[in-house]
Amino acid sequence: METVNYGEFSREMHRLLMRDRYPSNGTIEVTRRCPLTCAHCYNNLPMSDSAARRSELTFEEHCRILDEITEAGCLWLLFTGGEIFARKDFLDIYTYAKSKGLLITLFTNGTLMTPEIADHLVEWRPFAIEITLYGRTRETYERLTGIPGSFDRCIRGIELLLERKLPLSLKTVAVTINRHEIWDMKRYAEEELGVGFKFDALMSPRIDCSQSPLAVRLTPQESVELDLQDPVRVSEWKKFAEKFGGPVNTPEHSDEIYHCGGGLNSFAIDPQGRMSICVLSHFDTYDLRQGSFSEGWNNFLNKARRKKMTMMTKCVKCEIKAMCGMCPANGELESGHAEKPVDYLCQVAHLRAQSFGLAVPPHGDCEYCEGGQRYDHIVELADSLRKHIEGGASKTFSRYLPIVSTEKKLTQSSCSSCSCH
Amino acid sequence: MSEMDVLSSCFVKAEELVTRHIAGETLIVPVKGQVGDLDSIYTLNEVGTRIWQLIDGDTPLSNIVNAIQSEYEVTEQEATRDVLELFDTLQSAGLIRRATKSEG
Repeated sequence: METVNYGEFSREMHRLLMRDRYPSNGTIEVTRRCPLTCAHCYNNLPMSDSAARRSELTFEEHCRILDEITEAGCLWLLFTGGEIFARKDFLDIYTYAKSKGLLITLFTNGTLMTPEIADHLVEWRPFAIEITLYGRTRETYERLTGIPGSFDRCIRGIELLLERKLPLSLKTVAVTINRHEIWDMKRYAEEELGVGFKFDALMSPRIDCSQSPLAVRLTPQESVELDLQDPVRVSEWKKFAEKFGGPVNTPEHSDEIYHCGGGLNSFAIDPQGRMSICVLSHFDTYDLRQGSFSEGWNNFLNKARRKKMTMMTKCVKCEIKAMCGMCPANGELESGHAEKPVDYLCQVAHLRAQSFGLAVPPHGDCEYCEGGQRYDHIVELADSLRKHIEGGASKTFSRYLPIVSTEKKLTQSSCSSCSCH
Repeated sequence: MSEMDVLSSCFVKAEELVTRHIAGETLIVPVKGQVGDLDSIYTLNEVGTRIWQLIDGDTPLSNIVNAIQSEYEVTEQEATRDVLELFDTLQSAGLIRRATKSEG
């Protein structure tokens, strides 16, 4: 046997899997219920939502779907929510999935973690666990989550996993409430805990069409300022733009609206068993309670993935798409149409490109490009951001006292809605 | 242990691993407990996959060597070397162990 590192293995497997359109990457949202009430969340429901609970796939339905996706060639599976541990039987679903030979990543907020769950994960080790940390201080974290005591429970969850040497990394979503603590969170993760950390400022309206998360979304300049504060991040963005920038390079598919891996090598399944291209895309769904995974993957999702463009927009020929989060799902949620440009994303992409000194080739009637109505505004913003950073405005750090969490404190501050733990 | 003893032995696969066949590749995925290295995924080439299929707890290695020799038209010496090398690796990785008499 030959030993290769995981990156090489993954690249080679993806190359083989893309060749024949295997559903190699799956995402299953086991529930949308969550003990937290984060202001930015796109899909959370209260723990007490009994209608939501009753509508969720049963354990037996999950097993059938897991059998089918494994048979079809799924290798990497992400379990997400809501909060995955909000389901009392999540560990049963997880263990069944593990026993099928899937490489499983868990997205959790960590607040429902217990020693018993952590011990089970040691026995049935996941491929990766990602905990979202919403702030470095209790005040900020709980301002965003809306739940007193949730910060201590999250930190305790992190400790329980790290004590057991489980493959943990942390991440956050940068919003107006926590943006001043992003670099403190990064330092905490990387330097104090020795785990990976990433963040993203990209967020969308709720999937029930509510625009409420956008109230805490960073402005385009705040978002790009975070990029500029970290030279490594800027360098990664530039590499990404170099690799994925430019026009769509597969002419036979250039008239399609999707250019991601959704429906080509990945799929998402919601708590009620509806399969779609991704967790944000809900216009085309296939009900796995009514049909098989192979039927949904081979026919329904294949057709959805091949959907053709119906309108000529400035996005079609845009060569800085790599700087942008625009996709049909974001278009559906924010503009009500898969192809209609999202102004916010367009601003971020152009400001990012200008700030990084990247060329923006003309791509139709775009107000943020040279000659456009708001081009001067973007250039001014980019200059001002660059001067701000060059003038010494870089990452801000604060000093914190060590965090002490005890079992007693955890019990006292338990959220009453977390009846399952 | 002599080569002769090894060739007359039978081996069983560890129980807590899963064999996946995806896109023409054979993957051995440890799923539970201390089997193999839980952070590793093991892949086998075509010959390795055939050898893996023949490990059933009651087929002596010598029979597996014979099967490989005839199916892949290689010399007995080549087949023996390949089979012993793979078994050594699989055993070191904790993916197989020598079968007890009751398992045979």
